[in-house]
Amino acid sequence: MKAKDVYVGELEQQILLIVLRLGDDAYANPIGEMLTLTARRRVGRGALYTALERLEAKGCLRSTMGEPLPERGGRARRYFTVTAAGMRALRDSRRVLLGLWDGLESKLETS
Amino acid sequence: MTPRLGPEPPCVIERFLDRALAGAIYRDDIIGDLREAFLDLAVRRGETVARLWYAAHATRLTLRYGLRITLCARAAHYSPQARGGTAMDRVLMDVRYALRSLAKRRGMTVAVVVTLALGIGANAAVFGVVDAMLLHPFTMPDVDRIVMPMTTSPRWSGHRETVSPADFLDWRRQWAGGAVEHLAATEWWDANLVGRDEPERVLGFHVSPDFFAALDGRAALGRTFLAEEEVAANARRVVISDGLWRRRFGADPAIVGQPVLIDGLQSIVVGVMPPTFTFPQLAEIWAPLSFDEKATRNRTGHYLTVFGRLANGRTLDDARAQLKTIAQRLAADHPDTNAQLGAEVMTLSRGMADVGVPAVLGLWQAAGIFVLLIACANIANLLLARAAERDREIAIRLALGSSRGRIIRESLLESAILVAASIPLALAIASASLRLMHAMMPARIVRYIAGWDRLGLDAWTVGGTIACAAVAALIFGALPAMHMARGIVADALKSDGRTGGGPGRQRVRRALVVAEIALALPLLVAAMLSISTIRSYLISWQGYDPNNVLTLRAVLPESRYPDDDSRERFAQLAVEQLSVVAGVRQASVGNVIPAADSNSRRSIEIAGKPIADVSKWPRVDYRVISTQYFEVLRLPLLSGRTFTTADRKGAEPVAIVSESLARKYWPSGSPIGERLRIEDGPWMRVVGICGDVVHDWFDGRVATLYRPLPQAPADSLFFAVRTAGDPMAAVADARAALAHVDATQPLFDIMSMRQVLSDRTISLQYIAAVMAAFAGLALLLAVLGLYAVMTYLVTQRVREIGVRIALGATGRDVARLTLTQAARLTAVGLAIGLLLAIALGRGMEAGLLGIVSTDLRVTAALAIALGVTALAASYLPARRAASIDPMTALRTE
Repeated sequence: MKAKDVYVGELEQQILLIVLRLGDDAYANPIGEMLTLTARRRVGRGALYTALERLEAKGCLRSTMGEPLPERGGRARRYFTVTAAGMRALRDSRRVLLGLWDGLESKLETS
Repeated sequence: MTPRLGPEPPCVIERFLDRALAGAIYRDDIIGDLREAFLDLAVRRGETVARLWYAAHATRLTLRYGLRITLCARAAHYSPQARGGTAMDRVLMDVRYALRSLAKRRGMTVAVVVTLALGIGANAAVFGVVDAMLLHPFTMPDVDRIVMPMTTSPRWSGHRETVSPADFLDWRRQWAGGAVEHLAATEWWDANLVGRDEPERVLGFHVSPDFFAALDGRAALGRTFLAEEEVAANARRVVISDGLWRRRFGADPAIVGQPVLIDGLQSIVVGVMPPTFTFPQLAEIWAPLSFDEKATRNRTGHYLTVFGRLANGRTLDDARAQLKTIAQRLAADHPDTNAQLGAEVMTLSRGMADVGVPAVLGLWQAAGIFVLLIACANIANLLLARAAERDREIAIRLALGSSRGRIIRESLLESAILVAASIPLALAIASASLRLMHAMMPARIVRYIAGWDRLGLDAWTVGGTIACAAVAALIFGALPAMHMARGIVADALKSDGRTGGGPGRQRVRRALVVAEIALALPLLVAAMLSISTIRSYLISWQGYDPNNVLTLRAVLPESRYPDDDSRERFAQLAVEQLSVVAGVRQASVGNVIPAADSNSRRSIEIAGKPIADVSKWPRVDYRVISTQYFEVLRLPLLSGRTFTTADRKGAEPVAIVSESLARKYWPSGSPIGERLRIEDGPWMRVVGICGDVVHDWFDGRVATLYRPLPQAPADSLFFAVRTAGDPMAAVADARAALAHVDATQPLFDIMSMRQVLSDRTISLQYIAAVMAAFAGLALLLAVLGLYAVMTYLVTQRVREIGVRIALGATGRDVARLTLTQAARLTAVGLAIGLLLAIALGRGMEAGLLGIVSTDLRVTAALAIALGVTALAASYLPARRAASIDPMTALRTE
């Protein structure tokens, strides 16, 4: 049976890519920072958690808990990794976008 | 426990966040992440910046998650088996949709919110007054347990009265251990305070020692009175109010035990009350009430106001039954004085309330509700028009499978949002109105109106406002919702795109306009009635000339003026001094002047017409006056002579009677030369008849008896001074002149006679001002409503009008068509309004003790004025209709 297609929005794509880049250190704080620095996108904390929650619900992200840390008031970090479904969603959206871009590069450069 | 690592984020904010995140999947992560970022920022940018950053982020998260949880819970409650998206999503979507749809029609939204705020605000303001004056005029602890026992008699106006000293003492003795404890009597006391500053007259009360216990008032400094201080020998003690302590004694903490000079005698201050205790009537000083030998036998002088507290486990009915038995026993024991007297026990709020107050407040609240109904009709009309505009959109949504319930929910949600938005504005309007009402009432009158000093928005008023808003939302939200619920898909889709629906909906809209006009007319009539009553009182015949007269009051303390001679000397010297003040033509003095807020009445007996029972002697207004009194007030002497210097003490007692007294008791002949007497007074010979004066607008002309001051000197004095120009210009010199006579004697109520008259009508002025405000608001809303509906109807008929013009109708024909339609609506509204106005006028006549009377001519004139205004408002839409270009009209359709 073919896995169900999952559509991800622009913010969700960016988050998935950042999680891939961060590797083992992907938890909310660095994800938020990288969104601001690399993607030049200011996302409120609330919106970030909602997006993470949604990605997990869609099966694109999986989370695991780290060790409790004193600087977090004894709370553990939640680390995220991209699941197979998440990888597939990213691949799909890349293919669609590249298809749409195809042949348009020169036009974009000259305009 | 986690060890502390450097700076900590604000713990209160963190706690709030923790609570808001209850149930959130990432609860611990969010708090941990925020803490970690806070610590990082504190190291890089300092702790203050980090704390501010934390506060901002945590607050935003708290609001976001808090709102989500609340909405989730509510949505889950409404539809546990929600299909297609969570219930919260749907509620949020509905809210967002409603907000967007309101924002799209900003003009209409603002109009609705402002109209609604005016309607609700007006009601909230009236409710604020009702709350302060009727529902919660007093703020003492357990106020419902405080009672006022009082004497009743069928002969007295209002059938209740203050209590005589002998009756009070008997009640206290016979009632001991009964349903009421701490029975205490109080008597008005104008205390003259002399000390560091200029002499001052302070409102005080002589009270029984149990007075403070009855009201649960405890001294903030020192103590209240002891039982033994009721004995005259120990009675030179005073308790002062917080206000007096601060104003007069600089909040001296060592004041307790200090002597102060009051009424010319030393009294010891034994206590200072807390700022909240100023009972009764914003009193500032209290002294023990003691009874001399004569007072303990006095059953005819009713001057004590009695308070008490219901004993534990006892009810008001117990108290009533017990006092009734005691009163019956006293009536049997003292048939000459008490035969006709009964007794009644009331709660404090009922007992202190003015007889006319509930009627006036009822009238205001009715007017407020009328205005709110008009506002609701206006809003319903606007929303109906809008609902009609959306007919097609709704029909398409229904056809595509949207549920009818959802569309109704959206409509109701829009109404709810409009109401929610108008509540803060309504409260602001109410608060401003109440502040204005409070500021406009002169301080000297505030003390007579229980609760007025507490006028303002409190929890009750805010609660009442919200309840009123909810009712309003139901009224105006129901119509458009019903309209949408009935929407028939096929009809709307088939329609040619014109909005407005069929004749049924237009009928509803017209009915609303008729209702607005019908409700506005009675308000206009009520306002006009109140205004014309005041005008007629202020400018009508008074019996004397109130222009260019200055009045001053003084109450002579018994210690400095213990006997008739000293009082007479003061009065005489004072009049002499006042007469030579620059700008003064003549000066006089009396125990009461016309229109003053106090009165003096006595029972009289006419020679040759004896009545055995003293309590059945006729009552007349009683005046003690100096020789020039009639000239100063320009009160005409009709026959006989006025008082002269020969009418002194020891000479034959004489009296002058007013015209109405003469006519009432000597209907067939002249009273001059006849004799009469007041209870326990000498027989007096009538030497003259003077004109009547209006003392009180309730009573009109009242039989009045005048005596010369030297034969019955009074201790409460009103000086009346006729001046050449503005009476208030002579105030400083008049004060200085009286200070020459006695520098320690305070003067008060210094005002012109016109001001005295105006104060007398203050309650009517208030009624008129509030009614005028309501009427103005009602008129504005009704006219705007008619204008909106006529404009709307014209837009609905553009095509028809185009056809008419194309077929040869002139602009004038078309304008006439529109105006006729408006005239028909107005006429129906006015017809219903007239009936309501007459009913309201009758209600006012009955409720306000006959001080206003319905005038059919005024009512008719107002109806015509309202009709003309309404037609003027329809003129613009009519002109627009007349100028429609038939080609354009037909093309656009």
